[in-house]
Amino acid sequence: MTIAVLLKQVPDTTAKIAVSEGRVDQGSVSKWSTSPYDEYALEYALQLKESGAGDLVAITCGPSRSSKMLTDAAAVGVDSMLHVEADTSEMDSKQIQSILAAAIKHCGADVVLCGKQAADTNSGSTGPGVASLIGAACVGMVSEVSMDGDGFSALRGSPSGNERVVVSKPCLFAFDKAATELRRPNVKGIMMAKKKVIEKVSPGDLGVDIGESGIKIHAHDSPPEKPPGQKFEGAESVPTVVAKLREEANVI
Amino acid sequence: MPFEALDFYNVDSLLTDEERMVRDMVRDFVDNEVLPKIEHACRDGVFPDEWRVTLGEMGVLGAPLKGYGCPGLSYTAYGVICRELERGDSGLRSFASVQGSLAMYPIWDFGSEEQKNYYLPKMASGEWIGCFGLTEPDYGSNPGDMITRAEDMGDHYLLNGAKMWITNGSIAKVAVVWAKLDGVIRGFIVEDGDEGFSAPEMKGKHSLKASVTSELVFQDCKIPKDRILPGVKGLRGPFSCLNNARYGISWGAIGAAQACFDSAKEYSLSRIQFDHPIASYQLVQNKLSWMLREITKAQLLAYHLSQKKDAGNWIPEHISLAKMNNVDIALEIARVARDIHGANGILDEYPVMRHMANLESVKTYEGTHDIHNLILGRHITGIQSFTRHLS
Amino acid sequence: MNITIIAETSGNQLHSVTSQLAGAAGSLGGTITLLCPGGVGESEASKISGVSKVVSLKGDCFSSFDSGAWSAAMTPHCEGVVIASSSPTGRELASQIASKLGVPVVQDLTEIGQDLKMTRSIYSGKAIETSTASGSCVITLRQNSFESAGSDGNAELITVDSTSEVSVAVKEAMAKAGERLDVSEADIIISGGRGMGDPANFSHLNEVADVIGAAVGASRAAVDSWDEIPHSMQVGQTGKTVNPSLYIAVGISGAIQHLAGMRSSKYIVAINKDPDAPIFGVADYGIVATWEEALPSLKEELAKL
Repeated sequence: MTIAVLLKQVPDTTAKIAVSEGRVDQGSVSKWSTSPYDEYALEYALQLKESGAGDLVAITCGPSRSSKMLTDAAAVGVDSMLHVEADTSEMDSKQIQSILAAAIKHCGADVVLCGKQAADTNSGSTGPGVASLIGAACVGMVSEVSMDGDGFSALRGSPSGNERVVVSKPCLFAFDKAATELRRPNVKGIMMAKKKVIEKVSPGDLGVDIGESGIKIHAHDSPPEKPPGQKFEGAESVPTVVAKLREEANVI
Repeated sequence: MPFEALDFYNVDSLLTDEERMVRDMVRDFVDNEVLPKIEHACRDGVFPDEWRVTLGEMGVLGAPLKGYGCPGLSYTAYGVICRELERGDSGLRSFASVQGSLAMYPIWDFGSEEQKNYYLPKMASGEWIGCFGLTEPDYGSNPGDMITRAEDMGDHYLLNGAKMWITNGSIAKVAVVWAKLDGVIRGFIVEDGDEGFSAPEMKGKHSLKASVTSELVFQDCKIPKDRILPGVKGLRGPFSCLNNARYGISWGAIGAAQACFDSAKEYSLSRIQFDHPIASYQLVQNKLSWMLREITKAQLLAYHLSQKKDAGNWIPEHISLAKMNNVDIALEIARVARDIHGANGILDEYPVMRHMANLESVKTYEGTHDIHNLILGRHITGIQSFTRHLS
Repeated sequence: MNITIIAETSGNQLHSVTSQLAGAAGSLGGTITLLCPGGVGESEASKISGVSKVVSLKGDCFSSFDSGAWSAAMTPHCEGVVIASSSPTGRELASQIASKLGVPVVQDLTEIGQDLKMTRSIYSGKAIETSTASGSCVITLRQNSFESAGSDGNAELITVDSTSEVSVAVKEAMAKAGERLDVSEADIIISGGRGMGDPANFSHLNEVADVIGAAVGASRAAVDSWDEIPHSMQVGQTGKTVNPSLYIAVGISGAIQHLAGMRSSKYIVAINKDPDAPIFGVADYGIVATWEEALPSLKEELAKL
């Protein structure tokens, strides 16, 4: 059995995001990291591998800088790495998913782990869409997964609490934040990673014709400046503030 | 605010992938396990044992040494490790410097095959802590006149004397001690529990509080014959160790300086006086820009030295210059950063005063600032000025 | 233009966001069909203004959530632009339906303009993206970003028996744990300072926190003054650095060390009786009042949501 973990390199969540000529200026990003939810997927993928579920391949689709992230994954124990080199920034969900689905098939993986959404696009489309394309059972909002007989047992979030679900392969788990500690590499792992070769392919090499994007991005803009702080007198203003939190700020 | 390592000239882009990964690993350790605990460790005057365990697990102890379970990294990687650790605390970096450069290195370079196989794997894994005994109560900058003596008793050596200012002394399993045997300086491996050996901790430090500093006392201390380091005689032994440790310090000091700069920058941007952030005032900007200038120079110095070290075309004077300069500017940056923080700068809510106090020790140990000046003076003129006896 | 809405359900009821989806759909113009998975809320759905047809999908496959099975049963009934809620389940369904229809999906829109010009926030709100679709697409909408439709509709109700292969089996459902979140994990934080007067008064913060699923934090002054308030709750320079969507500071004056730990929060509410407290300098919404007066009202208002 082969396990695949889908990783995406994104600006570190602490990095400043600047907009230039209608697009987020990727050149000004000070630090690139693995998308945080993907890191939980990676951790559980490593745990599955260690419990004997199979070999682990890390897959990414992105520009050449993304390779670093795959080497980092190799340092914590990923067996092999596949980098589909492509600029995804103007692609629609369908194009990205078709590339990743082909990559998963290329690796022969029947269990796929990924983050529930990437920290750049904040969409959450990739996991479920890929599951549909490869005909895998899809479990979202996952915070734990383990082998369970021939299948897998996962903990997923729901509006009313957590649910323990079981699925058999082929299956895909889209990870939410999990309670587990993320592992740190060690020097031995880093030395090993140096020796592992990243397989680099283009979408065409995988036999994918992504066609035209069905979504045209008009512009990226900086968010509007927050209005200056508002101050209210007395506890009788609480309902007003709560209403503003809901309507202006949209945070509750 | 997350830490942003000041790297104005993007010197870290010159690191190899491997060195960058080691940097990220150690930086993550410092962020998540050191910084949340460092102030308590200082207040309690302890070196948290879990740091020893994690350093061993990460596999960074004795970084540039190859074989015998050692990491086999580049000297550049060793420098980066020191820098990241010292961004946390100089005491933590001191632990790693002493373990790797002062205790493991002499065994690796001057030890017998049996000694290397016996000690190095356990020291690389952090299971055994090492320390280094050279300085004595009355002989600091002048180690050649040390008093500690070893006597050949036929089937064993007998050690008498005392060492002082020994990092890791009381927690060490292994002490590499330099003593005179028939008037010649030799290295001996002393183990915790050896008869006649004790290592009382020195208390009351205002600096390196999260690091253990001890005396080593030898009173008719019996050492088996196979514990002498066969490979070196004279001051060359301890000085080779010090070269490596000083090299690490030249990188480490940058970490402390980066931490102080980062804190001063953040503080000055958020501290409002006279209706504006103090960062908007010219006097503060002047201080910050001076820090940036000095840190950038120090980074270039350290990086170029690391390339020489890895290529093997260095001389000890190169290291003296870097150690002296980088610690000197780091200390001054810490002082200025403390100044920018105003009264808040004396609180342990901010790292600046801790770094400042630590760097006072760093400026003195491993060759004082002035001794390094004299080393360079001798190099330039060919005239040694350590003693009045011109020769 | 045809529009298909995927109803959002909450237990055995229609979730209120469904009406907002219909409101947004109405602004686009066109014939609106609403799909009710499992038949949940079908009669309420048929009363939503502007909806022409409600398709009530009945079948065993809807007994627990399985986006693969649900989307397989729903996709044949999706026509034109498909709209769902951007809740976790809504996004999952939308993405699977889009994939089955062979069209792109755009998630979590906060605005829809002329010619389906879509606005969404990216990079966790650090940038805004506007885009249009060249053909059909599936979109999900953020809750509370769109006006609800009225409830004077009278849609045709069609019941369809669906079968679909279920591949996610729920073995055990666990109620939400009563344990409170850690401040570093929470999306909403309510913190108390020395202005709370007594550590026992943090129970009032806990009550508010329980209503909105928030974590409870504290300033260093509170942690240092009272042993009952552990260091793990401390937000600030030597405590935790947090950046939740909403940070409510109660009885916290706003020392620079505290601000260092929370000023990057998306929205900050300050409740303090001192109108000159520095915390008001960083607050988006400041309330000059004692906590004794403000907290009961806050709890009541939040509970209404």
